Amino acid sequence: MNLSCKDCLFFLAVDAFKGICKRDKARITQESEPCSHFEKAPRCKFCRHYQSQTEFTGLCMGIRAAWPDLPAANCDDFQWIGKN
Amino acid sequence: MEEASSVYNVYGKQPDSVVREPEIKKSATPRAEALRELYFTAKSSASMEFPYWYTRRWEELDGEIPIIRRAEALKEAFSHLSPVIYPGELLVMGKAAYLRGSYPMPWLSEAYFMASEDKMYKEAVESGKLSADGYTTWGQGGGNVTRSEGNVVSIAGKFGVRKEEVPAMLQIARYWKDKSVDDIGHKYEMMVPGYPVKEALMRSVICMFDSGYTLPQGREVMNYYYPLQYGLGGMMTYCEEMMSESAGIPEMDRLYYYKATHLTLQGLQRWFLNYEKEARFMASLETDAQQKKEYLGIADRMAWLAEKPPRDFYDALQMVWSCHVAVLNEDAISGLSPGRLGQVLYPFWKRDTEKGLLNREQSMELLECMRIKFTEIDCFASMGVVGGVLSGNTFNNLCLGGLKKDGSHAANELEMLILESGMSCATPQPTLSVLYDEKLPEEFLMKAVECTKIGTGYPAWINNQVAMAFLMDNYGHEGMTLEEARAWSIGGCLETSPGSWMPLELDGEVYWIPGGSAPATSVGVHFISLPKILETVLFDGMDMRTGQRVFEPLGQKLETWENLWEGLKRYFSKAVEVLTYCNNIQHDAWRKISPSLVNSMLKPDCLAQGKDIGQKGCRYNTTFNIEICGAANMVNSLAALKRNVFDNKEYTLDDYRDAILANFGYKTAGEIGSFSLIDQQPAEKHLEYSRILKSSREAPKFGNDDHYVDSIFREWEEWFCDMCHNYTSLYNEPMYACQISVSTHAPMGAVTLAGADGRLAGTTFADGSVSAYPGTDKNGPYALFNSATCWDHSKSQNSQLNMKIHPSAIKGRDGSRKFLELIRAYLRKGGFHVQFNIVDSRMLKKAQAEPDQYRGLMVRVAGFTQYWVELGKAIQDEVIARTEYEEV
Repeated sequence: MNLSCKDCLFFLAVDAFKGICKRDKARITQESEPCSHFEKAPRCKFCRHYQSQTEFTGLCMGIRAAWPDLPAANCDDFQWIGKN
Repeated sequence: MEEASSVYNVYGKQPDSVVREPEIKKSATPRAEALRELYFTAKSSASMEFPYWYTRRWEELDGEIPIIRRAEALKEAFSHLSPVIYPGELLVMGKAAYLRGSYPMPWLSEAYFMASEDKMYKEAVESGKLSADGYTTWGQGGGNVTRSEGNVVSIAGKFGVRKEEVPAMLQIARYWKDKSVDDIGHKYEMMVPGYPVKEALMRSVICMFDSGYTLPQGREVMNYYYPLQYGLGGMMTYCEEMMSESAGIPEMDRLYYYKATHLTLQGLQRWFLNYEKEARFMASLETDAQQKKEYLGIADRMAWLAEKPPRDFYDALQMVWSCHVAVLNEDAISGLSPGRLGQVLYPFWKRDTEKGLLNREQSMELLECMRIKFTEIDCFASMGVVGGVLSGNTFNNLCLGGLKKDGSHAANELEMLILESGMSCATPQPTLSVLYDEKLPEEFLMKAVECTKIGTGYPAWINNQVAMAFLMDNYGHEGMTLEEARAWSIGGCLETSPGSWMPLELDGEVYWIPGGSAPATSVGVHFISLPKILETVLFDGMDMRTGQRVFEPLGQKLETWENLWEGLKRYFSKAVEVLTYCNNIQHDAWRKISPSLVNSMLKPDCLAQGKDIGQKGCRYNTTFNIEICGAANMVNSLAALKRNVFDNKEYTLDDYRDAILANFGYKTAGEIGSFSLIDQQPAEKHLEYSRILKSSREAPKFGNDDHYVDSIFREWEEWFCDMCHNYTSLYNEPMYACQISVSTHAPMGAVTLAGADGRLAGTTFADGSVSAYPGTDKNGPYALFNSATCWDHSKSQNSQLNMKIHPSAIKGRDGSRKFLELIRAYLRKGGFHVQFNIVDSRMLKKAQAEPDQYRGLMVRVAGFTQYWVELGKAIQDEVIARTEYEEV
């Protein structure tokens, strides 16, 4: 899985193109290469309840539609699969 | 440098060759400046997080009582919304997890953001719902994502969506097919007698848009009283008590309403607490001591406000902002106005400053941060609505001045600071309006004049007494008293909205604060193009642009002036009738499928009655209107036809029909890419029509204190304002007239053939409702005022006058006094509203050519201020062309 800054816990999105690193306040794009401080942000694609179907679609708990990049920090059912 | 008159229409002496900037420039605090710079880099972006969780929960609860299902869906969505806090922010929370974030609400309407080849999109096009989209142009600069790029897909011509989210967006949209307000409403509106006329009206863009599923709320004033007085926890406690009192008792809908409100509040609490958690996380990463302290302060504040009422001004401002966003997130909304916020927050501010807890600098910093937050608001709707009507604006109107409950003037020191922050941190939102009353102190008025002079386009100037007269007329039967009429404010750009006085108790003292007490005051029939109606009269019910029939043939020749009037009134009435019925059905679908819960819990007397807005829970419910556009052009055309055809018999109506179809021998605006009359170019046969064009342009024009044309305008206004009362809203209340163009004068002009007034095909109409057509007001401002006030403005929800004045005409302190007297003169004549661009139009022309050099330049359009670079070219051309007064 190719990861970028948008997948990082420290990524603060400004818009659909770019954001700010919460650690050092650097302006970065969503596609920027992760640095050594990279930590995964909770997202469906990192959850054990998520089953991928296509590149951008999948299922949550085997029933509900979801997508890999759906933020999951506030999902009560989120469970990491291999956090880092 | 070009001669001014070759760029725009000049009244008075030609300006010298130097392009003048506004005489005063102020700077924002470093904090606000940094946040504004960040805003300037941000693109409008949409996320599917909120719609996903909303839809998921909705789907799970099939069979549940509708209002509970809606509340559960809202609770789930608010609970999962990712918090984002940007460095330096003092106020937090936003619609979505982007700085200019928003999202589609497919439960309202889902077809418009599908790909153009999608079946759902094609169906929407066929029914005329998206006709206005095709004639809408976006500003190509600023934050608009007008084309797809990299991993970002452009939606509705404005919003960027990550490509990873697009399949989910389409999947969710498809779920809502045949379930959304749009689809359910459409199923039933087709049962309205004469429904085909409605589709024809939409396809011809005689009507701009349906209101029930596009912007079902907004154009109204917020009421922050309950959260400020009781906090979210207190409101929940009240709901719990009421649930106990209503369970098993007849009128059981009260039980479901309180339960639904309670559930929604739970969602809001979780949303607040998610911000607390995020602020603590940000603090944990922060090395700067001051920033760390601020993050921890935000965390404490959000935790406190999740349960309790505000402790101080800072808390109160955060609570106001949080409630504002919460309402925006429950529906597609434009024109949700904070109302008289300086008076609502004054008790907190006064107490804090008296106790030495808050100084001027801190106040200014908070107010500037508030301006940035309001400016971040985006509204996700179709291109025709967000672009063609709103120009990307969201119309959060903050009003100043007016009167207190006891009839004394209501201006205060906090309002002076709000004006000051509007100058130091010039941003489009919140736009400002002065509720002008003769009792307002001179110092306050001069401060407001100073602000208008700076070139921000705000404050607009509104006649307090005219608005109160309108309110008493229209809401008297619902119990409005003179005292309560004083609590009014502007909702949206210019919609007079009723309010109520609420007893805020702070440290044992009671302050009567004003707040909105009605739902959306501008829903119903949204924008009927008057020049286009006249065009169909001349062509016996046909839209000659599309070749389609709109109305049944008139069945009589237009042999007399009276015949022409009759035809006009007949077609206009038919349009209003069918649009009223269809919109009533759409709004009925809205209140059943997607009832308002957040806004309802804030508006008196929904909580007390146990009824949401859609069940007439508000104190005032006479809120549907009929909006028109292009009155000046229609009236000028009528005057030309009256003089040239019926009085002087110089031409026949057939001569005019021929000239109109030939566009008087000129190229169309679309062909030459400019929508201003000043730029239009003749085609080969223009000499054939030069005489009739000259006669048309020389006919009397509105705006010159000319009785011939003003009497036509007056007759129109008296008939129109009166006829609106013949139609009833969904709530069985009479409708009223509304006369603002917003941005519709551009797309509606784009689809309209040339007019008998000499306006050429495709060019933008005159803005507002009592503004003169650019270049036709030749007798100075006072003549314009006389024309504009030839009818009683209190008979309509509003009227709108825009003026453009060169900065040198009102320079210095003496210029300010002269300017105030000019404004007073208009309002004393009974004018409802006037607003100004204080600008050298040559600068606008330059900014059109070099948008990157003018990212922060703002102009006043029609009821709103917007960044120049985010306006479509048709509106830019119109603003440039407006008559600029070089002397007043």
